[in-house]
Amino acid sequence: MVTFILGLPLIAGGVVFALPKNRLRNVVLIGVSLVHLLAVASFWISPPMGILNGFLALDPLGLIILSIESVLFFAVSLYVPAYVADEPGRSNRVFNGCILLLLFSVTLVTLSQHLGLFWVAIEATTLMSAPLINFHRRARALEATWKYLMIGSVGIALALLGTFFMALSAAGIKSLVLSDVLSQASSLSVPWLKLGVIFLVVGYGTKMGLVPMHSWKPDAYGEAPGPVGALLAGGLTNCAFLAFLRVSQICHQAHQTEFLSPILLMFGMLSIALAAFCMLGQVYLNRLLAYSSIEHMGILILGLGLGGAGFYGSLFHAVNNSFSKGLIFLVAGNIYQKYRSQRLSDIHGVVKVYPFTGGLLVAAMLAVTGIPPFGTFFSEWMILSAALDGRHYGLAFCYLLFLSVVFIAFISAILKMARGAPDEALVARTHKDSWTTILPPMALAGLTLLLGIYVPSFLDQALKNSSALLGG
Amino acid sequence: MSPLWLDLVLTVIVILAICLLSAVRLGLIIRLFAFQSLVMAAIPLMLGGGFGVHNAVIAAGTILIKAILIPAILFWAIRHVSIRRDAPAVFGISTSLLLGGVLVGLSFLFSSALVPADKPFSDLLIPSAFATLFIGFLLLVSRKKAITQVVGYLVMENGIFLFALLLLETTPLLVELGIFLDIFVGVFIMGIVINHIQSEFDHMDTSQLTTLKG
Amino acid sequence: MVARLAVCLLLAPFLLGIIGKTKAFFAGRVGRPYLQVYYDVFKLLQKGSVYSRTTTWIFRAAPLVSLAAVLASALLIPFGGWAAPVSFWGDALLFAAFFGLARFFMMLAALDTGSSFEGMGASREAAFSCVSEIVLFLNFATLVILSKSFSLSQMIGERSWPSWTAMGPSLILVVLSTFIVLLVENSRIPVDDPATHLELTMIHEVMALDHSGPDLAFIIYAGAVKLFVLGAFLVAILVPYQSHHRSIDAVVFLSGMGLLAVAIGVVESGMARLRLDRVFAFIIGSFVLALFGLIVALARVL
Repeated sequence: MVTFILGLPLIAGGVVFALPKNRLRNVVLIGVSLVHLLAVASFWISPPMGILNGFLALDPLGLIILSIESVLFFAVSLYVPAYVADEPGRSNRVFNGCILLLLFSVTLVTLSQHLGLFWVAIEATTLMSAPLINFHRRARALEATWKYLMIGSVGIALALLGTFFMALSAAGIKSLVLSDVLSQASSLSVPWLKLGVIFLVVGYGTKMGLVPMHSWKPDAYGEAPGPVGALLAGGLTNCAFLAFLRVSQICHQAHQTEFLSPILLMFGMLSIALAAFCMLGQVYLNRLLAYSSIEHMGILILGLGLGGAGFYGSLFHAVNNSFSKGLIFLVAGNIYQKYRSQRLSDIHGVVKVYPFTGGLLVAAMLAVTGIPPFGTFFSEWMILSAALDGRHYGLAFCYLLFLSVVFIAFISAILKMARGAPDEALVARTHKDSWTTILPPMALAGLTLLLGIYVPSFLDQALKNSSALLGG
Repeated sequence: MSPLWLDLVLTVIVILAICLLSAVRLGLIIRLFAFQSLVMAAIPLMLGGGFGVHNAVIAAGTILIKAILIPAILFWAIRHVSIRRDAPAVFGISTSLLLGGVLVGLSFLFSSALVPADKPFSDLLIPSAFATLFIGFLLLVSRKKAITQVVGYLVMENGIFLFALLLLETTPLLVELGIFLDIFVGVFIMGIVINHIQSEFDHMDTSQLTTLKG
Repeated sequence: MVARLAVCLLLAPFLLGIIGKTKAFFAGRVGRPYLQVYYDVFKLLQKGSVYSRTTTWIFRAAPLVSLAAVLASALLIPFGGWAAPVSFWGDALLFAAFFGLARFFMMLAALDTGSSFEGMGASREAAFSCVSEIVLFLNFATLVILSKSFSLSQMIGERSWPSWTAMGPSLILVVLSTFIVLLVENSRIPVDDPATHLELTMIHEVMALDHSGPDLAFIIYAGAVKLFVLGAFLVAILVPYQSHHRSIDAVVFLSGMGLLAVAIGVVESGMARLRLDRVFAFIIGSFVLALFGLIVALARVL
């Protein structure tokens, strides 16, 4: 089963490069992501067996992340055909192929139980997503792709170094398979472990977009088209977050949480703070969303650093954040299609002209900033209560402060876009909403809303199991 | 193999990294990296296992990918560049070299503080790995042309590869091959992007890619 | 012992002949005869000197002083398995001091002529020797650490194969940076072109521009001896062979010197003279290599 779920996107990606027509490639894309989603759904019922000596296996943490990815990829794959068709004569060979290969890499990330293989998979996600950023073939997009590649590669190289230090620390265990390392964590050499943790945090933090390694994020998200932004913000960040989860697991078993927590808290707080202030006065829509992503990554890491109820909150937030980011990036893609501009000052009157997109825009705004009854509110609340439980009053105060700044900046920007009177020229340019561009974001919005009102028991149980693994 | 040869090889690798800091012509930079990778490919064969399958595959992979394929991709990416020259770092060649010397000293300082559990094959292995890593990083951040930055990244990866040699027995072949594949695909994609940059902007000067701000 | 030293020093100009023949081979020419430098020196000794009216006694004394200093430094180097005629604790410093003295007087003589070309050459020589002397001292420091004594005879005289096995990396770096110092001190390509006739591009040649007759003979011969002395330094490190048979040692030593001369010829044929600011970077490169060697030696010993 594991081989199937890995092999399917890989082979399909290769096939897509060979297929002649756009339509065929779209069919393959949607079909494969649907089958992938169904397979992952079956994993909830009966978990698959590990293969390759335990190198590839599914544990509760991996299952949660894999499910998020699968849902997101399916939603995006429904959206992509209409988006690409908007540019007439544009071939989607590279685009669809890279999305499928990205699905393969992401699946590999969630299934990897060996830290080295895990690194290989994450590097693969960076490489497969780079060509996607350059979709619009602009000079700025090229610049963004170059920065993404360079900074990402350097960060990942540091993560590789951290992986090797981990291996040196585990020299007595002679294996980097996660289960082996966790069960014999007391025999890890602490100086090498600490050094490895630092490099892993910096390296994978670059991938995640934590401050101060975040400089590629506004550029890359700013220039990437909507669906790609959804995949990057909702999908790849989870892969990097999974890396942090694994590091956290190891540190917990090796009794080094007092070493790791302050580091995580610092990075988390810095990210939230900087993102909040950079959002004020932002000119471009997608860059605004990029800073929002940085802020949410900070919240995830903050929750991870706080521990206790913070673990559950963090994992829950990962789920909510992916769906809400997917939602808002797809809506941004819609807006770009219609307005042909990303400048906030050029976009107004969305609700009047395109009621569906406008409604989804407002819903997305509420979801991303964490307004009840959307799920993000509850996950952010859980992290706040974890901070208060742990007596980090200063931290909680700053958290609330920065979240309010984010709220103000975001709401003012989006409301300005949603309300108001549109240009005459725009109304004349008829670009109606099609169901393929409305249904996926609507589904994602529905999911986020649902999670806020009622968390299904299987998810709740999975989250509890996972936080137990982390030490919560 | 006597430790003398291993020590000499490691010294040559660091000397080549220092030479890279002073190189200005693009062709020379790519060739120095290829030569460094070639020298590095000899190391797995000099460690304990001799000519075992594992070591031989890694050595062959290094030669094939880093000494042949990747330089070929880099030369292909700059085939249209008429001025095959990179401006040296903002602070000049002499300062680059002196910084390189400082970094070598720092790497020896770091390694004296880190002692791995089982004694490494040579006490020069960790310092030269750090030195190559730092010098690659210096090359990456101090140069302006995109190709030199890619070579700087590759030299960093060479340094990390030296660390990997410490763990030759424990790292499974699958992971090593995966790392090779990643680096190859990475450079392939970088080469394509450089090609696009060259045709779009008609230069490769990344210091001029500054339109994205805020 | 001094007699053997004298015989060796008489062979010094032969090295220049070897270098010339190697360069000619690469250029596809026949080249000057091996003994050409001897002919030149002999011819010049028989001529008279012409002194400019603007010069003082420094100009007349400089060639003698530089020759004397270089010959004195030759007394300190052990070569060919023979111990140095003079050796004491710290004689490495005296060795560098002699070189410095020779260079100092040559620079003074160049400035003494009052000509702008010579002044330019003197300033370039001063700039390059600033860094190359530091490199030389760094190499001495490395050798002191490796041999735990401060006398040249112990530092390079009693080298043997086991020491290479233990200290190989440091010694390779010492050899490389000393080779570059040799190129600098003897004004070889890529630092200076000994065959140029354009004063603007000269560094060492221009300082000897106004000397004539026996003075010029002394300067040429001093240059040959300097090459021989530094070459002996290198060969003693590179070839750690001590058979305790005088003749075998002598043969090994002389062939080592010959190979070194060929190597210099190859380097000269393969490169062009670097632009002046690149020359500076080149010498700083040798500084970094020497520093690296010192760090490795420290790491090994500490």
